[in-house]
Amino acid sequence: MFFYYLRLSALSYRRNPILSSLMVLAIAIGVGAYMVIFTLNYVMGGNPIPQKSAQLFHVQIDSGNPNTQDDPPTQLTYLDATALTQDGSAFRQTATSKFGEILEPIDDEVRPFSVVGRGTSADFFPMFNVPFLHGTPWDESADRNLQQVIVITKELNERLYGGDDSTGKTLRLGGYNFQIAGVLDDWAPVPKFYDVNNNAFEGGEEVFIPWNLITSLAFSRYGNTNCWKAPEEGIDGFLNSECVWIQYWVELRDSNEEADYLQFLNNYAAQQKEFGRLPREMNNALFDVEEWLSEQEVLPDETKILSALAAMLLAVCLLNTIGLLLSKFLGKSGEIGVRQALGAHKGSLFLQHIIEAGFIGLLGGLLGLVVAAAGLEGIKIILGEDLMRTDWIQLNPTVVAITLLLAVFATIAAGFYPIWRACNINPAIHLKTQ
Amino acid sequence: MLDMTKIRKVFRTDMVETCALDEFSLTVDQGEFVTITGPSGCGKTTFLNIAGLLETHTSGQYLLDGVDVSQLRDYARAKLRNQKIGFIFQSFNLMPDLNLFDNIDVPLRYRGMKSAERKERVDKALDSVGLFARRKHVPAQLSGGQQQRVAIARALVGEPLFLLADEPTGNLDSNTAKGVMALLEEINANGTTIIMVTHDQSLAEQSKRNIHILDGRISNESTRELEEAATAA
Repeated sequence: MFFYYLRLSALSYRRNPILSSLMVLAIAIGVGAYMVIFTLNYVMGGNPIPQKSAQLFHVQIDSGNPNTQDDPPTQLTYLDATALTQDGSAFRQTATSKFGEILEPIDDEVRPFSVVGRGTSADFFPMFNVPFLHGTPWDESADRNLQQVIVITKELNERLYGGDDSTGKTLRLGGYNFQIAGVLDDWAPVPKFYDVNNNAFEGGEEVFIPWNLITSLAFSRYGNTNCWKAPEEGIDGFLNSECVWIQYWVELRDSNEEADYLQFLNNYAAQQKEFGRLPREMNNALFDVEEWLSEQEVLPDETKILSALAAMLLAVCLLNTIGLLLSKFLGKSGEIGVRQALGAHKGSLFLQHIIEAGFIGLLGGLLGLVVAAAGLEGIKIILGEDLMRTDWIQLNPTVVAITLLLAVFATIAAGFYPIWRACNINPAIHLKTQ
Repeated sequence: MLDMTKIRKVFRTDMVETCALDEFSLTVDQGEFVTITGPSGCGKTTFLNIAGLLETHTSGQYLLDGVDVSQLRDYARAKLRNQKIGFIFQSFNLMPDLNLFDNIDVPLRYRGMKSAERKERVDKALDSVGLFARRKHVPAQLSGGQQQRVAIARALVGEPLFLLADEPTGNLDSNTAKGVMALLEEINANGTTIIMVTHDQSLAEQSKRNIHILDGRISNESTRELEEAATAA
């Protein structure tokens, strides 16, 4: 009977095309608007590395100002990051921060241009499942020996080498020669969980170099630097200061490793206290990726307000749909009466009209996808490429499936009262008057 | 087959209570052709609706093919309606979006019959009313008489125990009405019981048995045999 009822739904649509189209439009607008906001929330609040997010931990050492009650710093000092790196007791670990420099292509035809880069360590790439198109990451000896090696993105490789395998070639960055160790494949986690400072949705870095080179080559540091105590003069003064500017991540494979590493952090902090550092109460912590994104409130408050507004718009559209369905189904009282006379029981009539409501909902959902796609394009224009990366703002299979399911089930829910009313008519009255 | 005893039907609103049928008792046997007559508002249609299980009665007993329908729930009443009763309405009540085949197919679908058997039955029903060639047409493409023939085919396709016809010729011109009546008589001659409500006294006189209702009660009952005997005397 399902396909029979589906055919009846199509015929019913054809009989009242204007009324039916109004319902489809109302559902499309409500669901489409809701899905625009849902998509933003879904992607912005999603898990950027679900395969191992529970094994990756952001390291927090509270090196903050003892005279204030503010939250612990989200980054580490150079002193702490260096100490943790030298200990190396985690399965993998990486100290990482952003920089910017001028890149001078060897090819004379390409003019120098500025790039945003990331100083990090060899572990960064396997820790975060970073895919390579050509070559490999540098190895740990390059970190230790400050080798001038570099990994570049696929886009930069396209720009500089037309997409050819550029490993082994030399790039000039910030006035220094770097040998290309590898070229990344497409990789752009959203949100950019490993560095949520400033904007977790901005574009990723174009080049990656061993982290210590940022300081040894005096590259321009980008990102946040917070100091609760003024650093002494010179680069050494800065490096030995309580200024925080380094993100530090470790990979811990199970809860034992996690407990051990936290104990190690506490021991380290206790030792530092003996040296007169870390004056606040001990407050070391490990946050896995999802905890970290939540802790940092990566999802802006505005999205919650927009979600509420979109839900209200959806509710208004569904209320309209209830009215339209009521009008449509009560208009079918004659047919319902005839079907009852011919042997339909209320359950079968209810099912028939549930399927009809679902059919309208499905059409509304399909049109809603168009509305949502248009809405997302509008969001891209509003946000603009300058403010943040927007290529992730698009419908994906999950969102498409949710849109259609939401439209179908919301319309069926909206249809319950009209269907109940229509199926409880007195057939005798309508058979005589039809 | 149809056995009503002291059926009472009361319609209540906030202000008014109307007794549409009062102490109404009637038995109809297999193969009869019964006409129901009476002035407007006398309870003819109410009787037909109760007989067709489209409405419940307030009190009394109604046995349909031996089954007391008083306590039946919606599902069981619908099943009985589908299997034992065929309806013919004054305004045909065909579904405008469905072609003739699909219109006639409706009761069989509710019976859960397989597609091949449905097709065979619908084709036969269409053939019996002379409209097989137009099975793909929609009702709007037919004349009133043809539409009523389709409605009769739909009522017959499930091979019901009896047909309930509510003014089946009321919307037809006299020639077409005669044709429809001839078809109904033929159906009755083949063994199907027919109970027909009509305003047309001449049609009532043609039937073997006529029940006249007045104020919700049977005021007069006559059979053709009795009338012929009275005339002869």
